[in-house]
Order: sequence, then C-alpha cells, then structure tokens
Amino acid sequence: MKDSKELVVALAGNPNCGKTSVFNNLTGSRQHVGNWPGVTVERKEGTHIHGDVALKIIDLPGTYSLGAYSEDEAVARDYLLFGQPDVIVNIVDSTNLARNLYLTTQLLETGIPVVIALNMCDELASKGIKINVPLLSQLLGVPVVQTVASRGRGMEELVEKTIAAAGNPPAKSINYGPDLEPDLEAFVEELKELKTHLNPRFLALKLLEDTEFVKDIPLEESEKEKLLAIQEKNLERMRKKWGEGVETLLAERRYGYIAGMVKEAVQEESSLLARLSVSDKIDRIVTSRLFGIPFFLLVVWGIFQFTFTLGDPLVELLEGFFESFAEAAGIWLQNIGASELVSSFIGDGIIGGIGSILVFIPHIGLLFLAISILEDSGYMARAAYIMDRFMHMLGLHGKSFLPLLVGFGCNVPGIMATRTLENKNDRLITILINPLMSCGGRLPIYILFTSALFTANQGLVIFSLYLLGIVLAILMGMLFKKFLFKGDSAPFVMELPPYRLPTFKNTLLTMWDRVGAFIKRAGTVIFAASILIWFLANLPVGVEYASQQSLLGRIGSLLAPILKPAGFGNWQAASALIFGVVAKEVVVSTLGVIHGVGEEGLVGVIAKTWTPLAAYSFMVMNLLYIPCVATIGAIRRETNSWKWTLFAIGYSLALGWGVAALIYQVGSLLGFA
Amino acid sequence: MLDLSSSLQDYLEAILELSEVNSTVRVTDLAKKLNIAKASVSQSISKLVDLNLVQQESYGPIELTSTGREQALKVRRRHRMLRKFLIEILGVKPEIAEKDACKMEHSISPETMDKLVDFLAASEQLPQEEPKMTTQLSQLKKGQTGTVTKIEATGTLRRRISELGVNVGTKITVLGVAPMGDPMEFSVQDYRLSLRKDEASLIRVEVDQ
Repeated sequence: MKDSKELVVALAGNPNCGKTSVFNNLTGSRQHVGNWPGVTVERKEGTHIHGDVALKIIDLPGTYSLGAYSEDEAVARDYLLFGQPDVIVNIVDSTNLARNLYLTTQLLETGIPVVIALNMCDELASKGIKINVPLLSQLLGVPVVQTVASRGRGMEELVEKTIAAAGNPPAKSINYGPDLEPDLEAFVEELKELKTHLNPRFLALKLLEDTEFVKDIPLEESEKEKLLAIQEKNLERMRKKWGEGVETLLAERRYGYIAGMVKEAVQEESSLLARLSVSDKIDRIVTSRLFGIPFFLLVVWGIFQFTFTLGDPLVELLEGFFESFAEAAGIWLQNIGASELVSSFIGDGIIGGIGSILVFIPHIGLLFLAISILEDSGYMARAAYIMDRFMHMLGLHGKSFLPLLVGFGCNVPGIMATRTLENKNDRLITILINPLMSCGGRLPIYILFTSALFTANQGLVIFSLYLLGIVLAILMGMLFKKFLFKGDSAPFVMELPPYRLPTFKNTLLTMWDRVGAFIKRAGTVIFAASILIWFLANLPVGVEYASQQSLLGRIGSLLAPILKPAGFGNWQAASALIFGVVAKEVVVSTLGVIHGVGEEGLVGVIAKTWTPLAAYSFMVMNLLYIPCVATIGAIRRETNSWKWTLFAIGYSLALGWGVAALIYQVGSLLGFA
Repeated sequence: MLDLSSSLQDYLEAILELSEVNSTVRVTDLAKKLNIAKASVSQSISKLVDLNLVQQESYGPIELTSTGREQALKVRRRHRMLRKFLIEILGVKPEIAEKDACKMEHSISPETMDKLVDFLAASEQLPQEEPKMTTQLSQLKKGQTGTVTKIEATGTLRRRISELGVNVGTKITVLGVAPMGDPMEFSVQDYRLSLRKDEASLIRVEVDQ
C-alpha cells in the first residue's frame, strides 16, 4: 500500500526561462499570490496532485545566481537555503544554456535534490542546436527532462522525475581545479564544526564569494562569531594567494566548467553569427537610432489608447451601475422603513465605498494586460534600454519611465507598474513621486476652475499645472535620491531577452493575479477611508450631509485658517479638500453640494466667489496634496510599509501647502490678488 | 621614430606597462617602478606632455595620447626584441639580458638600433611578437568583438558581471548603442546583455581582428 505524502517543490530559474509557464501548467487555477514575509516581493504558491502525492509548488522570483543582488533574488536565495524544500526544479532555457547553467551549478552545491527542466526545446532545431540530454544529465549528476512549457509538453515526466528525486541529493559537485580545491577543503573542514543545517562546502563557497552573506544566516550569536572568525581567516589566506579577485574566481571557474560541459553535450551546427536570430533582426529596427524612440512613443501611445479609450466607457458603466444601485437600495430601504441615516450609510457609505474600488478595475486590468504582454514579449526590457539615458540624468533607472508615464492616466496602476524595477531604492523613489504626475481624476477640478476664471487661456493654465507636477517630481526625485536613498545608483546590467510571442494563458493569469492583489490589499484601505469620510459628513446625528455643522464641516472650519496663506481659507474649500482624499474628482461634486448648486451652476458661483490667483493656488494644492485613498492604498500595498505610506502623505501635503502658499503670496505681492 | 631621449623612452614604456595593470597611472607608481624621485618624474612627464605624447590633468592620472601609445609600443617591442635576441639566440642569462638590453638601447644610435630591430624582426629564428592592444569595452564600435582581458569593476558590480558570464577570456560583441547614446547592447555567452558606458568602460578587452 502506498502512503500519500506531500512534497515541497521550489521552482528556480533565470528570468525569462519560462518558469511562470511551468508554474501555471502544474498548478492551473490551484494557485494563490501573497507576499513573502517582510518584503514586497510576490510569493506564488500552488498545488499539483499526482496520484497520491501532493506537490506544494513554490514559484521563486527569477534569478541569475544565488548572489542576491535585488530584493527578488534575495528572496529566492533565502528560500532555497533556509526554507528547506524537498526538491528544486531548475528551469533552464535550453537556447541559452551556458548562462542558465550558472545558477544550476550553484543549486547543485546546496545539497538539495535538483531536477532540471530543459525548457523551450522546440526552439533548438531552428537554431541548429542539438543537446545530448542523457549525457548532460550524466555530466550534471541530476535528472534532466525536456519540456516546452508554453505548450505544456514534458510536464508529466517532469513531475514523475521530481517525485523520484526526493531524498536523492545531486551526485556530483563542481571541481574548482587542483590549485583551488585544497584551499576550499581546508575552509570546509573548519566549517564542519558549526551547528547549522547548511552544507559546509556550499557555505564555504558562499562565504568566499559574498562576504556580506554571513549577516543573513540565522545562527546563534556565539556560532556567528565563530563563523566570522573562520571566514576572516580563510579569506585572508586565500587573498594572499589569489589576490583581490578571489570573489570572482569561483564564477570564472564555474563558467569554465560549464564551457567544458556544453562542449561535450551540445552540438552547434551553425556558427554564432549565422544564428543571428529573428530577435536581433527585430532589434535592428526597434532599438535603432532612427526608429527606436518613435517606436517607443508609439507603444506608449498604444498603451494609453488601449487602457483609457477602452477603459473609460467601462468605468462610466460601472459608475452608472453603482449610482443607480445605491439609489435603488436607498429607495428600497426607505420603503421597508429604515431611517434616512441607515439608508444613506448603506447607499453612500458601503455601496459607494465598494464602487470607488471597483471603478478602478477596468483601467488596472487593461493596463496590466498591456504590461504583461509587453513583459512576456520582451519589449519591456527594450523600453528601459531606450529610456535609460534620460532617466539616468534624473538619478533613476530606465525602467522608471513607464510607471511615471502611466501615472498621468491614474497613479494607482502607475504605482503598481513599479514592480518591474528591481532596485528597491529606485522603486521607492518612483512610487513616491508618482502622485505628482497629474492624473485624470484631477482634470475635472482644473476644468471647473479654469472655465470659471481663466476662459481666455484655459489650455495654457491646465498645461502649466501638468508641467509643474513634472518639474516638482524631478526635483523631489533628486532630493529623495540625495537625502533618503544615498549611495550609488543601481548599475544598469540588464538582459535583453529574445522576443517571444506571449501566450494567452500566461498573460491572462498574470493580469488576474495583479488585479486580485489590488482588490484585496488596496481595496481594504479605500473602503475603510470611504466609510470614515461618510461618518464625518453625517455626524453628529441629524446634521445635513456635509454641512458646516457636520464633523467634516467643523474640521474644515478648523483647518481653514491654516489654508489662509494659500488664499483659500474658508471651510468650503477645506472640506472639499478632505473629500478630495476619497478621489480627487470628488472635490468638484463636494463644492457643488456645499454651495447647494449642481455642477452646472458651480462655474457661476466659483467665478463670483474666487479670485483667479486663489483659484490657481487651489488647483496647485489639488495637484500636489495627499494622494487619493486609492493611491494611498496602492502605495501601502507596494511599499508594504506604513512608514513610507505616511511619508508619501506627509511630504505631498507639505509640498502642496508650501507651493500653493508661495504662489499666492508672491502673486499677491505682484498685485495679482 | 621620434628623436626621443632614451630616458623619456623608458618613461613611455613604463606608463604603457602600468596602464595595462592599473586603471590609472600616477606619478607615485611611476617613481616606484623606475626607482626615480617623484620630483624628477614630474619634470619628465611635463616634457612628455609638451611633446604631446602624454596627457595629465594637474597632478591627476597620467594617460598616453594615441601618438604616445604608438611610440610606447614601439619602444617596448624593440626592448623585447633585443632581450629575446640576447636570451634565445646568444644564450645570455635572462637577468643579464634584461640589463644589457637597456644599456644597448641607451648607447646605440637610433639609426643602428632601428636597423638592428628590422634585421631581427626579419630573422626567422626570432618569431614576430605583436604586443597586445587592450581598450575599454565602451570604446568598441558596433559589430566589433573583443576578448576580455581584465575587469576593473569592483564589489557587487564585478560579481554581477562575472556571474552573468563576463570573465577574463570571454568573447563579447557590440550589437549597438541605445538611441540616446547610452547604454550599449552586447552579445555574450550567446545572449544579449546591456550595460551603461560607465560600466562597460570598466571592462578591458583585446579587439579581435
């Protein structure tokens, strides 16, 4: 009788090796996305049932080595070293064998059973490459399975070999050469005295190439000190012999070992240049001096058209639906005798709150669909390559461009798009300055005030606001870089993966993962804030909705004197700004409610009660102050930190008030008041 | 060959050799290598600067100009040729050959020296030895291939580059430069890698012909 068992299987591989395809094939819909503890990196997990064995599959972030250069890579490394999976399935892009096998050589050293999925085997024939799979398996000392994950081929065999591999550690380890091995052995012997589950040879190699690694090993203080002493002693001994380059010596030897293996097991029928692939031919146009930038702009324009032209009607539809739903619910509640307060709570509070989350979904969904197509196709890396020169001048990375640009549509997807940035500091800066990109939600405010007071040069005034946002974003970005995220900017060492046709299944699953994460994490913040504002507008019991007597009105009156230097020190403006936190466009409808006129009559009222200078200063305030709750939710979700979320709120509030006051004061001095 | 004093020729050769080992050459390094006081090194360097063979920002690192480099390579070739002749054909001990080669360079007239070198170069017993020309990876033109001779990057960047398969001996080809002039795209280990020029300049390569 067989007993049923559970195996923990970690999927590891280079970026762009088709790992996600393997994961999706094995787990199908039985997967869920969460976060790794303490960091913002996604943790994808799923199960695969084979007979009476349940495989718990963990999809690790793509990594080129166990060197842990980014947060993603650190997660992958730490899981492999300290998470103790039963088997590692190493997905290897067979068309790019040498570099992919580098990670393999490191995985073999962990002492954990390894199975290799030789992926994208279907592309080998067209490239004139033949791989002797049994020989490769023999040379590596682990099972090797040929797969084409995008079409689901080879999955069955992969699962069988994986189950069989459990409990069988790799048979071979790399020989670093007769000159280096004795030094390594001496190091290993000393490490054997330590109390740790880590393989001593692996530990010696890691300590040798990454001197910072010690910090990340969970060990008792006394053991750690011993370890440090051993490391120090051995490093010094080996530095004397090998010079300062000892850290990269191992990498050189591994590549040497791989080159030998590839020579034996791989037959290349054509020369390197003859294999100049379709991908290179596409790049000759797409990244060329002449067409590179125009093509990039075309793609960006395409994303915008796709997201907003297709999304806007859907959003309107959803908004309309929620409005009538809230109304219908209100009428029904009144009919069954509920009090006005209860029906307003359910209608305006709960349903409105849910609505304010759901209206973002069309834009986010479409944008992420576009982004995952770009990522899977390989163009995303080219976009970063093309824009890096410009972004580098601002102290950022090429990959920061797209998230900032998307911010002009809506800051929420803009902030979520920063996921493609590997460097944590670059990513945080890009998130923090994203709200300064004037999003679509702020446009109704500009339109209201400019049509009331700047009829002659409406376009110019609105344009100046967009420009102000960009200039301030650049300035703040530079300031943050200088004072908050000191240190060198991340080097631009990036692979340009070959172009590949994205598969329908992967693209949709990726999009769905991200939308789901948004609803779950950002949604709670948005919902809670909407309810809170509703309470403020309706309490104490019996006041008119959002009147001066309501808590909201009172807070507005309280805040008004603070806003006076900026030129709009009245409770109406203050209350509208508070409402604007729900969503910036709500400022317009709030002003309507407060003044007791519809949005049509509002232009007239504004024209009579505001001066152009105060109006401009108010628009600047709206551009800059606290991001809306959806954006706050996205910042919270993406930074995984309340500290940075509060910082984003705080700095934007200070910046908004400061710049608005400056404009009003200087304007008054110049006689524009 | 320019009519250079033999001591200035020694300087050129020393700068060339130091520049192949270190990323920058300083007066201190030269003084150490030639065993000469720093003050007189500075003096000679300013002479070389006047001759447009060497560039030096005030007290900064010393660099050979392209003519300077050409001259230095010639000097070195001559030096090596003489040394080789003494060791391999006449059977002189290496230590003595090294010293005598220097002395010969310093005492024979330029004309005799040139003729001697030409004669030795043509002699079949002494195989031609072309000195290696190395340059920064960022200097390579589109389509050029180089073999990595040295990685001057340090710390994480060095490890990163190394783990991605760029090591001494690796072949690397320039595929192009981004539309705004930076970064560059390379082909290495059969895949496409992009690096900023700043980073590529830390990798020295020997250009394949």
